[in-house]
Order: sequence, then structure tokens, then C-alpha cells
Amino acid sequence: MEKTRQLITSKTVLIHMILIVGAVAMVLPFIWMFLTSLKTYAESIHVPPVIIPKDFQWENYKEVFTLLPFFKFMLNTLIVTVLRTAGQLFLCSLAAYAFARIEFPGRNFLFLVALSVLMVPGQVFLLPQYMIMVKLGWLNTLQAVVVPGLFSAFGTFLLRQFFMGLPKELEEAARLDGCNHFQIYWRVMLPLAKPGLVALGIFTTLWSWNELMWPMIVNSSPESMTLSVGLSSLQGQYLTNYPVLMAGSFLAIVPMLILFMILQKQFIEGIAITGGK
Amino acid sequence: MKKWLIMILTLALGLLGLAGCSSSDKTSSDGKVEITYGFWDKKQVPAIEEIIKLFNEKNPDIKVKTELTPYAQYFQKLETAATGGALPDVLWMNGPHVVQYAKGKVILPLSDMAKKDDFSFDNYPKSLIDLYTVEDEVYGIPKDFDTTGLWYNKKIFDEAGVPYPDDTWDWNKLKEAATKLTNKDKGIWGYAALMGNQGGYYDFIWQNGGHIISEDGKSVGFDQPEAIEALKYNISFIEDGLSPTQAQMTETAASELFSSGKIAMMFDGPWMVPEYKKNPDLNVAVVPQGKQRAVAIHGLSNVIAANTKHKDAAWKFVQFLGSKEAAEVYAKTGTVIPAYNGTQDAWLQSVPNLNLKAFIDGVDYSVPLPSVENTGEIWQYETDILKKAWSEEESVEDAVKELTKKANEALSKN
Amino acid sequence: MKRRSSFFSLFSLKGGSIVKEIPLQVEVNAKRRKLKVPNLSKTRKRSDFFWAYLMIAPTMLGLIIFYLWPILQTIYFSFTEWGAFGQYEWTGLDNYKRMVDDANLLQSFKNTGIYILFTVPIGIFLSILVAVLLNQKIKGKSVYRTLYFLPVITMPAAIAMVWRWLYNSDYGLLNYLLSLIGIKGPQWVSDPKIALYSIIVVAIWSGIGYNVVIFLSGLQGIPKTYYEAAEIDGAGPIKVFFKITLPLLSPVIFFVTIMSFIGAFQVFDLIFMMIGKGSTALEKTQSIVYLFYQHAFVLNDKGYAAAIAVLLLIIILIITAIQMVLQKKWVHYD
Repeated sequence: MEKTRQLITSKTVLIHMILIVGAVAMVLPFIWMFLTSLKTYAESIHVPPVIIPKDFQWENYKEVFTLLPFFKFMLNTLIVTVLRTAGQLFLCSLAAYAFARIEFPGRNFLFLVALSVLMVPGQVFLLPQYMIMVKLGWLNTLQAVVVPGLFSAFGTFLLRQFFMGLPKELEEAARLDGCNHFQIYWRVMLPLAKPGLVALGIFTTLWSWNELMWPMIVNSSPESMTLSVGLSSLQGQYLTNYPVLMAGSFLAIVPMLILFMILQKQFIEGIAITGGK
Repeated sequence: MKKWLIMILTLALGLLGLAGCSSSDKTSSDGKVEITYGFWDKKQVPAIEEIIKLFNEKNPDIKVKTELTPYAQYFQKLETAATGGALPDVLWMNGPHVVQYAKGKVILPLSDMAKKDDFSFDNYPKSLIDLYTVEDEVYGIPKDFDTTGLWYNKKIFDEAGVPYPDDTWDWNKLKEAATKLTNKDKGIWGYAALMGNQGGYYDFIWQNGGHIISEDGKSVGFDQPEAIEALKYNISFIEDGLSPTQAQMTETAASELFSSGKIAMMFDGPWMVPEYKKNPDLNVAVVPQGKQRAVAIHGLSNVIAANTKHKDAAWKFVQFLGSKEAAEVYAKTGTVIPAYNGTQDAWLQSVPNLNLKAFIDGVDYSVPLPSVENTGEIWQYETDILKKAWSEEESVEDAVKELTKKANEALSKN
Repeated sequence: MKRRSSFFSLFSLKGGSIVKEIPLQVEVNAKRRKLKVPNLSKTRKRSDFFWAYLMIAPTMLGLIIFYLWPILQTIYFSFTEWGAFGQYEWTGLDNYKRMVDDANLLQSFKNTGIYILFTVPIGIFLSILVAVLLNQKIKGKSVYRTLYFLPVITMPAAIAMVWRWLYNSDYGLLNYLLSLIGIKGPQWVSDPKIALYSIIVVAIWSGIGYNVVIFLSGLQGIPKTYYEAAEIDGAGPIKVFFKITLPLLSPVIFFVTIMSFIGAFQVFDLIFMMIGKGSTALEKTQSIVYLFYQHAFVLNDKGYAAAIAVLLLIIILIITAIQMVLQKKWVHYD
């Protein structure tokens, strides 16, 4: 194998320069967020701006936790995200398998019906979904956020693509071994669709964690709020007390940041696949 | 790979169990009843927590969970919650909204319960009881009352060599002082001309002899010359560079600028005492007079939601909230002026270095906040339309013409 | 060489080949079993149907209850007017008539239009640029990729907060930096004339990373042989980009454009968190979805909100239809 030497050409330097400018632009707001969160209010509105605060005001973080149940927000968001992701992975793959590998009457029609959901902008569902929650008495509960998110036309479509690409011989073999469809699905198909499952999982996790409008509509009591909604509530209480607001924001993004650092490769692959399909 | 899926599903089911425990199950197995208490002011949290503690000494089997929602979203959230039968058991109510909530039957009338338990409404100022009486039923137990005061920063006055505000001040004096106090180099403004009705342009309109809603409740008075003059005076501080602009105050809240010594004077209520008492440079005086003296008076009350599953517990709590004991907690912590007759002195003494008497004096010439069934709608129009005048996008005359038209339409629906 | 064109199987019922490897043992077993004749008895067919319906049941039921039936309900609600606390009555076409005269609605369309017009093309252009640069032979690719992806994994609520702070006219970092070079910075989020553009910048900033990843994956799918051939022919980088990269990337570009368009059309979070309700910039930044939220949950005008939602639906359907037609014309397949 030939070893290619990396020549530091002017081309490479130019590329790096452009990329670095962009990267700095990407990261600067986060750094500023963190620095501001540690300033006193007076320091934050000082002109010229104080870059590094004199004393690190960790009290700002304490303030966030004492006023609003921020830890509860995190727990709620975690629960909601895990449930929705796991639910979608299971239910969508189940349906996707059936649509992809089993011939049954009405298959194409039902699939098109499911697919039609993708054509519709989310706001069309909101009001009736909200009324359902009202009737069920599910306002200010976690299930109000979780349940509609368990069903996904997108997830079903994506996984169906994956299942359709698997060779038919595997199925035949398993059938002749006496497996019913569920067993085929569980033991044979699912493991092979791993890239698709990971992709859907990442995609759903990201969406669920960051969602604002629906959780805000159904959950207005602090006990059942998720992080995004909690942040907007924080903004309502602290108006423009930026150090505290920045502390809250930072706390809100840290969990996903950590998850991302650990699962970087999967994240990026997952997005590439969902984007590419 | 399967192992992952099984792990995830197990985790999911586990969390589902957790979720089941953590979401609303208000009666736990040991017979304790849990009620929720909804309100909006985070400055009152310490006082409320102390009151709850005292309440639990006599009623250990009733657990009270507080639900704090920022004011900006409070009534919006209540409307949603009321539709879904999910209001907090006990909650704060204000004058402008009580009629709608009472008529909509989402809060409970308290007169019968009070009669049964010998709970007297005579312990509160009659005007407050009347405010919360709809169709001859009392719906709320008054909690506090508030007027407007002129908060000022002594340090800025000292540095500019301006004598502190007193009861001789009038509109001209306010303007004059603001001009002397404004210091562009230091980034200090003389007066914050916040856009707000209570403790803001309503007060100015009344001081100038105008009215907000007419006696017969059929029209608003924004387009009258007195109101226009008052609004123009209010906005003139911005035009003359003596106040931060509307945009600036949206980006950085005036109260925070005031706390940090960037604003010399602003109108605000007694609810700011817990916050402002921490700053030794701040004090408060009576509001300057226009053609006459006038400040807005208003008071909150505690009401019970119609959808409560624990009516008795809620009623016990509401009674306690309206008790002398609770009033004294509010008074001695200087949190708000309690409504219970006779407890106001304790409030006056609570922060000796602040001239709290300014607020009590205001009661003598106060005007109650107007309240009709769709007050909320009218306030929304005020915000949407007057902000254009405040940002100098539109003239006051044009703005009030549009506002009057929309508000009168709303009033005709009643 | 076959190019994966499965992006657009969204609109076909066929799929593409995805799995590349099969465990060997299963293959062997399968070959062994092929000798037996498959049993297609009626019982098997019935068991097939049973399993099929069972397996699609949860998702289909969920979709019908929470998504499909609501579509019909929203359409119904659009013909009603709502009072306090959840009461409503039929009012026919009143809401739609009202829409025609609604200046706010018209403005929100303009706002959303400007937002889309700037966010989508600029965002895609920058993403392609970065992706192409990252695709070159340079070190530290994954570091860059991570950094560019950071805004994507960050909550829009948090992004809005920090940018609001950066944009603060008196105390924000941006205006301070500008003052260092003698420019008095404008009121980025309070000035009605520029607030929308300030938001557009944030939108582009937070979306680049996502599209970079997609384009990178698309670029990596372009077979090296094309580039090698171009090199032999002596083509310069610009020519290579326009004659090879771009055309072969066009399915991805098309897909990303449509997705970005539809996403931008529904912008809400950023505007909601960055523009205060008392701000004069509100009318010039409200998006259509923001107006929907305003009417539905703030003003309790749910009937009108439903009508707005129906309008959104119609528009997206039209766009999707246009897209299906354009797909045939503009996208290069081999």
C-alpha cells in the first residue's frame, strides 16, 4: 500500500483557515454561555464586558435549582425521551417488518395511509391531540408527551426500507425451521437492521430531547415540565437576568452534550442514514 | 444487538414505572391528601413556604405542593388548565380575571362554605371583597393589596446633587429631576417609562383626570384628551432621552437596570420590597401628582378551583391563607401588604430603612383596577397597540384611536 | 456502477439494497433448505395475515388515533369558533373569510417567506462548502465535524437564550466587538427591520452541522474513479466541482433542500424564545406557526388557529406535489 505524504500546501492551509473560522463561530456562543453563567449580574452588564468573572458564581447554578425543579425537568426529559425512542424502535420496526416481508391484503393501501401522515405539517395534529389529552385528563402528565410520540410514520417508513433490503432466503430458512413471523422478526431481521435502528434511535432521541411546542402545550405545571419548557419558564421568572438564564441553558444542554461525546460515531452515522434515505 | 434492545426495553419499562410514581397521584396510601397551590411571584416563595409550614402544624395530613408559573404565562396556562379540568386546587386570582372565571364556573363560590364555618368577610377591606364578588357570591379571599410608589436610587441623587422626592412633587418636578439625573456618559437614566397599565399609564391617566372604562362599562376613555395628554407625558421621557427605550427595556428588564444602579427612578409596587430591600441605595416615595393625586389599587385573592378533588382540604387551606396568622407572616417579612385588617402596621415596621408609608398613603387616593368580563382581552389590545406608541412607531393619537375601537368592540360583547 | 437512488423511494414502494453482509452460516443453511419444496397451504397464509395485522396494529392504531383522525378534526374545527374554557360552535366559512383581511397573517407569510428565502439557500451553500472542504485530505476531520455538529444537538431553547444575550444591544458581546472597530451596533432583536435577519443568522448557524453530515456522507458516496478520471484529464478543482461533484450530489442536494424548506416553513422555537411578547419586532418576525400557536393557546381562538393549520396543510401538499414533478426533471441519476 502506498503511503501518501501529507504535504502542507497552501491549499491545505487555506482550507484549515476557513474551517477554523467556522468552527470558532460554532463554539464561541457556548463558551460565552458558560462564562456568563459564572458572572454576577453587575459583571454581566458591565461595559466593556467582563470576559472572565472575578469570582466564579456557582450560586447562579444553585439559584436555578432552588427556584424551579430543574432536576425534575431533567428526569422528565430523560423518561420521555427513553420511552419515546424505545417505543418507536419497537413499534415501528414491528410494523415495518410486516409491511416489508409479509404479503397481506390491504398492505399497500395501509402503508400509503401511514405515509400520508408524513405529508402533513405537525400543527395540523396539535389541537385535536390536545383535546384528546384534555378528555383523558392527561394534562400535566408525562404520558401526554410520550404517547403520541410512540407512533411514527417516518420511523416505519425508514425501517421498512431496511427490511426490504434483506435477502429473502433468511426468512425461508427460518420458516422451514418452524418460526412464526414474530420469531423471524425478533431473531433474524432485527439484528440485521441494526444500522437503521441506531439511526432511528439517534434521530428520535435528538428530536425528543429538544422538543418545545408540544410539551409546552400539555405540561404547564413545573412538576411535569421537560427541559425545553423549563428553560422558557426560567426566562419568564428571571426575565433578563442573564447569568442565571445562561446557567439554566448550560445545564439543559450538558446531558445531550455528554451523550454526543460518547456516541459521536453513532450520532453522525445515524444522521447520515436518516438524511440519506 | 438483541441484548441492546432488551436492555432498552427494560430500561423503558423501569422508567415507565418511575413515571407512574412521579406523575400526579395526589392521595398516597397513608391517607395524606395533597393539594396544589398555584401562583406567580417568585419573591413571595419564602413567605408562602413559611405559611404552609404553619398550616401543617394544625393540619399535618394536608400536603401542599406549590406550583410557580411566571406571570407572563400564568393566565394563559390557567385558561388551558381550566379547559382540561386541571387547575391547581388553590390559586391566585386577580381582579381583571375573576369575573370571567366565576362566570365560567371554573372557580368555586365561597359564601356558603364561609357561612357554615363562621368565616367572616368583615376582616378585609370591603372594596377588596367587592372586587371578588360576582353575582352576589364571594369567590376569593383577599390576600393583599398594593398601590404604586416612586422607587428611587439615593446614590444617583446624591451624585447629581438632586434632593430626594417628597410629596410636593408633581409632573413638572418629575421631569425636571429626571433631566438632572440622566447621565449619558455613565449610562444612567433618570426615569424608566415602562409600558404598563397598573402603576404606569393608568396612574398617569387618572392623575390627569381621565378614565379607563366609563361608568356604564360601555366605552373606554383612551381617546379622551386627558388620556392622550397623560400618555404623551409618559412617553416623553423616552423621547427626551431620559428613559431607556421600549426596545432597550424589552431586552434588559427595567427592574434589573434599577437594581444595578442604571436607573434613578421608576414606579413600582410593594411587591418589589423583598428584592429592593437588599440594596441600601434604594428607597421609595409617594408618586408625584398631576392635576390630582391618583394611584392604582389592586389586591390578589386566593380562590378554589371547581375541578378540585379535595374541596375540604382546599377550603381549609384557603381559610388559613386568609387568616391573621398568614397575614402576619407576609407583614413581618415585608413581602406584600396583607389585606387582613389591622396587620398593615407590622408590614410598615418590617423594613425600617424603607419609607413604606408611601404605599399606605396611596390608599387614600387610589383608584381600583377596572374589571369586566373580558378585561384580559382589553389588556391584550393595550399591549399590542400601545407598544407602537411607546416605540415611537406610531403617534399616540393614532394608537389610541385603534385601541379605543378594538376595546369598545370587546366591551360591547358583554 | 449502480448509484443508490433510494432517497426517492419515499414515493415508490420499492426499496434499495442496503445490507452488504450476510452471516455465512445462515447462507449455508438456506442453501441446504432450498431443496425442500415450500409449503404454501391455506393455514400458512392465514397465519401470515394474523401476524401481519397484529404487528402493524399498534402503529396503525396509534397513527389513526393521534394523527389521521386529528387531521379530519382540525379541518372540522377550522369551521368553528371557540369561547372561554373549551366551548365552541359552528360558524362555517367565517374563519377563512377573516384570514383574507388579516394583516398579521399576511405579514407572517412574508416573514416566513423571507426566513425560508435566506435560511435555505445560504444554509445549504455553506453546508456544501464545509462538507467539500472536510472531504479533502486534511487532518482533524472528526474534530471539525464534532465542533460543527455541536449546535445541532443543542436545544433550540438554549440556543435562543445565548444568542439573545449575544445580540443584546447595550450589553451584548456582538455590539461590543463592533464598537471596537468603531461601529455602533444596531438593536439586533428589537429593531423590527432587522430582527428577522438576526434570527435567520441563528437558524443558519444551528443548522449547518446537520446538513454538513448529510452532504459529507453523500460526497463519500461518489466513487473515486470519477475524480481520478478528471485528474487524468487535467481538470482543475473548480471544474471538478461543477461538472462532477455537484451533479452527482444533486439527489442529496434536492432532498436536503426540500427537507430544509419544509422545516423552515414551520419555524417556531427560535422566534418564540428570542422575541419577547412586548417587543415591537414581533409583528415583523412572527412565523405562520407562531401565529398558529398565538391564536390556539394564547388568545384561545382555536377555530381560527385550526384554519391556519389547514392553510399550512394545503401549502405543504402543493409544495410536495411540485417537488414530485421537479424530481423527475432536475435530479441526475445514472
